[in-house]
Amino acid sequence: MRYAFFPGCTLESAAAELMISTKKVASALGIELIELEGWTCCGATHLQDVDEQLALAINARNIALAEQLNAPLLTVCNTCTLMLRTAKKTLDENLQLKEITNQRLSSANVEYQGTSEVTHLLWALIQDYGLENLRAKVKRPLKGLKVANFYGCHIIRPQEVLGFENHMNPRSMEMVVEALGAESVEFSQRLACCGFHAVFPAEKEVMRLTALNCLSPKKAGAHCIVTPCPLCQMQLDMYQPDAQKGCRDNITMPVLHLPQLIGLALGFEPEELAINRHIVDAIPVLRQHIGVI
Amino acid sequence: MENITFRIRRYDGTNTWVQEYRLPYEKGKTILWALTKIKDEIDPTLNFTSACRHAICGSCGVKVNGHAFLACKTSLDKLLETFDTSVLYFEPLGNYDVVRDLVVDWKPKMEKMKKIKPWLLPSREGSIEEGFRQSKQQFAKISSSTDCILCGICASECGQLAINDGGYLEPFIINKAYRFAVDSRDNAPEEHIRPVLENELWKCIHCMQCVSKCPKEIPLTDEIAYLRKETMKMGEVHNQGARHAYAFYHDVKKWGRLNEMTLPIKTDGMVTTLRKRIPFAYRMIVKGKINPLRLPKAVKGIKGVRKIYQQVEEESKS
Repeated sequence: MRYAFFPGCTLESAAAELMISTKKVASALGIELIELEGWTCCGATHLQDVDEQLALAINARNIALAEQLNAPLLTVCNTCTLMLRTAKKTLDENLQLKEITNQRLSSANVEYQGTSEVTHLLWALIQDYGLENLRAKVKRPLKGLKVANFYGCHIIRPQEVLGFENHMNPRSMEMVVEALGAESVEFSQRLACCGFHAVFPAEKEVMRLTALNCLSPKKAGAHCIVTPCPLCQMQLDMYQPDAQKGCRDNITMPVLHLPQLIGLALGFEPEELAINRHIVDAIPVLRQHIGVI
Repeated sequence: MENITFRIRRYDGTNTWVQEYRLPYEKGKTILWALTKIKDEIDPTLNFTSACRHAICGSCGVKVNGHAFLACKTSLDKLLETFDTSVLYFEPLGNYDVVRDLVVDWKPKMEKMKKIKPWLLPSREGSIEEGFRQSKQQFAKISSSTDCILCGICASECGQLAINDGGYLEPFIINKAYRFAVDSRDNAPEEHIRPVLENELWKCIHCMQCVSKCPKEIPLTDEIAYLRKETMKMGEVHNQGARHAYAFYHDVKKWGRLNEMTLPIKTDGMVTTLRKRIPFAYRMIVKGKINPLRLPKAVKGIKGVRKIYQQVEEESKS
């Protein structure tokens, strides 16, 4: 399996641990990730507020770079997935706009054709790699670890763009987590938004949401949150101390990236997956429940 | 499946409880069929609203298993399959005051709606004799937004409304502002747009619930992006939302990538960033999540990216 890899901006800085764990996991599973040379930021749902045609063009360029590698485009970020798939859907369904966009791209010597699919690691594991193959690679079953699967919006909504599974009752995270031997916990905020995209203009509200998103899985008995999106991980982890200030209950919840959880099941130790980089220390919970060093 | 169990949240004005009803399964029925059958044959005290039965009046919005649906349009089979269950939990729409059982209070929302002047402020080009004509292209701009049936499903599911103190506008109100702002017969788009800006337009959290749940498939999030863009054209660029969006715009143009280090400064300004974010920055640096000394490098092909920018900018000017 070979993918054109689109890391997204956060993997180069605040979520560098996701880059580390993704590469480790991909390598251990035998998945080839070729990082796109010259990829640009997807715009992260903000660029279209300034110019939606520009957001479309730069993502068309990103997909066109994957087409040059003759490979599907794979991301590990929900919002990148949404932006790239939105661009692809728009262009594939509107040939006139595709032509106009290609005129714009010609100045950068690239052409969007529509030949590369855009997928997310979570989907690729299920659809391309196969859960049985994943299960066969597990060296350290995560038995005893109760996991709250926090999907994040942009891997399920809007359904017409994402479309991998039913947005009202997705099961992909549960399927992967259970293949790793962990137990999925049902909690009320499972499909909630993390609020990351409005953390500046709506700070008070988003902190309220962060507290709720941590408290809900905690009350349901989860040991940790796992998410397929670095933005959700950053919001729930980095801002947890700020969210705690406005909340009487103790909301402390470790938050892992999906590839980190997979990496643990594949036998890597937390430091190899850079789990020690999180603001809320996840290692005591992992030590207690799955016996990591 | 022989029976479907309906657990309905009841409210009599004082007390809340959950009441259970059971109906024999019948293929091809709707949520509204079930509610009507329960009221007609089991419990006449159950309250809910409905009228047209054809997804036009918008009065039968209700939450089932945590998601809002138009009762007359949604098949029970779809729900049973989606949630893989024979037990359905009914609640009134979220983010509304409840009057009785599944009946919600629309009055506060309609009062709020007045803020955006949800009516045409006509141009002088038309007349009583000639009317106010529109071309097909002009009508196309309002075609989708005029599909809104005020069912309230978008408001029920809105992630910002759920955590907001009351200042944020319901998505259907934002849609109404958009609908008149883009109408070729309206002469004062700013009078619809400015109240949206002043009522926390930039606080949308991008949860995509409104656009996902709207039974009329109105592109509400695109409308929000349009309204934001229009506020910036009106000169409203000195707010957190606009500065945040422009930070992305300029970073991608300059380097191809977002510079997370400077994003807070570009959004909030240096003084506010220093005042508010030092503890945050400290814990990020300690964990190695940010490196203040890291300088961004332009991506390979940045000249091409800038040419794309230039072309799009030139097109939008012409």
